[in-house]
Amino acid sequence: MQRATAAPGDAQSYPATDVRIEQRDGGIVAACFFAMASPCELLVETPDVEKARALGRIVESEARRIEAKFSRYRGDSVVSAINRGAGTVIQVDAETAALIDYAAHCHELSDGLFDVTSGVLRRAWKFDGSDRVPAQSEIDALLALVGFNRIEWRTPHITLKPGMEIDFGGIGKEYAVDRALALVEAESDCALLVNFGGDLRANRPPVAGPWRVAIERPDTNREARMLLEVTQGGLATSGDTHRYLVRDGVRYGHILDPRSGWPVRDAPRSVTVAAGSCTEAGMFCTFAMLNGADAEKLLERAGVPFWCLR
Amino acid sequence: MQLKPANPQLRRGLMAASCALLGGTAAQAQTAAGEDQSWQVDAGLLYYKENAGRLRTIEPVVSLKKDFGDQRVLDGTFVLDTLSGATPNGAIPSRKPQTFASPSSTSLTPRAGAKTTLYTIAPGNLPQDPHFHEQRAAGDLDWSQPIGIDNTLSFGGHLSTEHDFNSAAVNAAVSHDLNAKNTTLSAGFNEEYDQIHARGGDPIPATDYTLLERERAQTKNVAGALLGVTQVMSRNWIAQLNYAYDRSQGYLTDPYRILSVVDGSGSVTGYRYESRPDTRVRQSLYWDNKVALGPTVLDVSYRRGKDDWSVTSDTVDVHLRIDVGRDMYLEPHVRWYRQSAADFYHLYAIQEVPLPTYMSADPRLAAFTATTIGFKFGVKLAHTGELSLRLEEYQQKPADRSSPLSQLQGLDLNPGVKAAIVQIAWRQDF
Amino acid sequence: MHIAKLTRRLIWLALALTATGCNTIGVKPWQREILARPAMALNAYPVDAAIDDHIYFSKEGASGGRSFGGGGCGCN
Repeated sequence: MQRATAAPGDAQSYPATDVRIEQRDGGIVAACFFAMASPCELLVETPDVEKARALGRIVESEARRIEAKFSRYRGDSVVSAINRGAGTVIQVDAETAALIDYAAHCHELSDGLFDVTSGVLRRAWKFDGSDRVPAQSEIDALLALVGFNRIEWRTPHITLKPGMEIDFGGIGKEYAVDRALALVEAESDCALLVNFGGDLRANRPPVAGPWRVAIERPDTNREARMLLEVTQGGLATSGDTHRYLVRDGVRYGHILDPRSGWPVRDAPRSVTVAAGSCTEAGMFCTFAMLNGADAEKLLERAGVPFWCLR
Repeated sequence: MQLKPANPQLRRGLMAASCALLGGTAAQAQTAAGEDQSWQVDAGLLYYKENAGRLRTIEPVVSLKKDFGDQRVLDGTFVLDTLSGATPNGAIPSRKPQTFASPSSTSLTPRAGAKTTLYTIAPGNLPQDPHFHEQRAAGDLDWSQPIGIDNTLSFGGHLSTEHDFNSAAVNAAVSHDLNAKNTTLSAGFNEEYDQIHARGGDPIPATDYTLLERERAQTKNVAGALLGVTQVMSRNWIAQLNYAYDRSQGYLTDPYRILSVVDGSGSVTGYRYESRPDTRVRQSLYWDNKVALGPTVLDVSYRRGKDDWSVTSDTVDVHLRIDVGRDMYLEPHVRWYRQSAADFYHLYAIQEVPLPTYMSADPRLAAFTATTIGFKFGVKLAHTGELSLRLEEYQQKPADRSSPLSQLQGLDLNPGVKAAIVQIAWRQDF
Repeated sequence: MHIAKLTRRLIWLALALTATGCNTIGVKPWQREILARPAMALNAYPVDAAIDDHIYFSKEGASGGRSFGGGGCGCN
């Protein structure tokens, strides 16, 4: 049995690279950095720039810690260790176990549509705007390696069959937002908002009024931004803009249905959901996108505030 | 996914899942920030005091647990027990004063070269030896580790020593998880070997007290087995069912207890050492339930016991843990206990009747009911520590306290006991 | 020995339930957050339990049942 560990060291071992401070309107200080392939920021309602910088460093450390631990692009991450397992039993720590449990729970809630093992299908699909669609035999071969029910998960031990992979792509960034906010909330009484590239969460609104957030919305003609006023809670956005295929007039977004191996048809171009936590909001986005044409129906029936763009 | 007619379940389900993820990992991430919390210390101090000048105990306990990772845990406990106060010697009150010798005496009457510590009991009082003083030290060491994925092995040892008693024991147990860890089966065995060397020597059972016939040190051993099932019943309810069996063999008599021998009218004519069988087989069934009702936790357990000395018992134990604010809790506690008398239990022996082979007036083998009522108050300390105070009152009410014999009218032959239990405890993770 | 028969039956029942893979009782692994609370552990306070076991062992005729006696004392 092997132990999957995080990258050597922990939050402290990442050099606290400086966050960039920006003064925003209304007495808000922003601490900005780049992580998880997104522009990230912590907004703090405070006159104390140094305090905002200190809190920003906490958020940045946590973002880097989670990225290092769960990114499938990093060879030293826990996820990579699990994916290299090839049939051996891997023992994971409590945080990883909680995420796998969450993935299992969402798999069940979505009747199998949400599946963290579906990433291997990307080997067949290249969403480069062209019309190259893989052969069915290629898809079938990969489908044999997809299926959360195929993995053995009995906490804290996970066993993947050779060739299978898991990835926390649909969970990681939103989870990092919630974790980062919890950490800075423990260190300060200010109004705070953590925003990792459009996935965000606030603990409460500033005195001057709600947080004003701009959500990037894809539009075929121009990049329009939707302005939202956020008081408290999580917000997440899923988008389909830049990765797609067009063939025979049909647009295939990059969200793949793990049951068929094909992209979900008629998924919205963009969906934004508000919920109690960023993790919850992000999963609603994912569920909506997976439901393709019925995205709005799903969100309406679930009773969450949402904005869909087609 | 199926579009159900209305889907608040999806929202509720996802909310619960997210809360479980974020709530759980909050505590873990605190420790992920570099602390290696593999030690846990549990220290407690018990103060136990009975009424009417009887037993008083001060007992510090220290327990240290080290987690070596991979679910391998070493657990050590050390106890120091200081007992003093008067303890009933088994004889019944009488209308005349009674004189007894403390167990370490070698003679009931003063004479050269003999040790004589006597005590006299006033008429109507329960005979109690006021010179009782004892100190006991005990240590336990236990190791547990997983075997494979679903099994755990644990084994341990125990040693204790006091002036008149030494004990050594070993135990081993295995457990197996089933049904995604919803069910755990366990089986264990233990073996205990004791040496009894009472002050003044171990009396020969059932002999005349005044003759002080003693034996050299005696031994006894206990072999036991435990079978258990733990079952997760629902998200907020876990239950446990244990069956225990043990068999004691050897010198099971209490070396300090005697019985009064009375004539037909109830006047005391002499005393005999008690005498118990040299084997005892006990069985018990123990059922425990823990249910979370919101933040409150209810713990209800029932135990049924039976042995071949005819002592049957029922125990019901209820704890209700109520959170007060974020850092404190209050836990009221009630325990009801009832037992039947051993078949050789007698308040006293009657002279005219041939003395039975086995006889004891030990109140612990009598029929009685007992209640414990109290509460525990706990406060969270910084960094996963906890301080608590427990205050309880224990009361034993014997069923059989009087005799129809003329000389014993109006005398309370077995008054029972009331005790105060005070415990301070501290727990800390390192 | 009435209790022996009863307990034997209960144990067979428990074993039978588990042997048939009766997984209708229980929870999914991700539903254990309440059970994971320290106050829900079956032996949450071993020091309290040890002290109580010692008190009741020395004052009463029945003892144990929850776990092993772990050794005796001269008090009974």
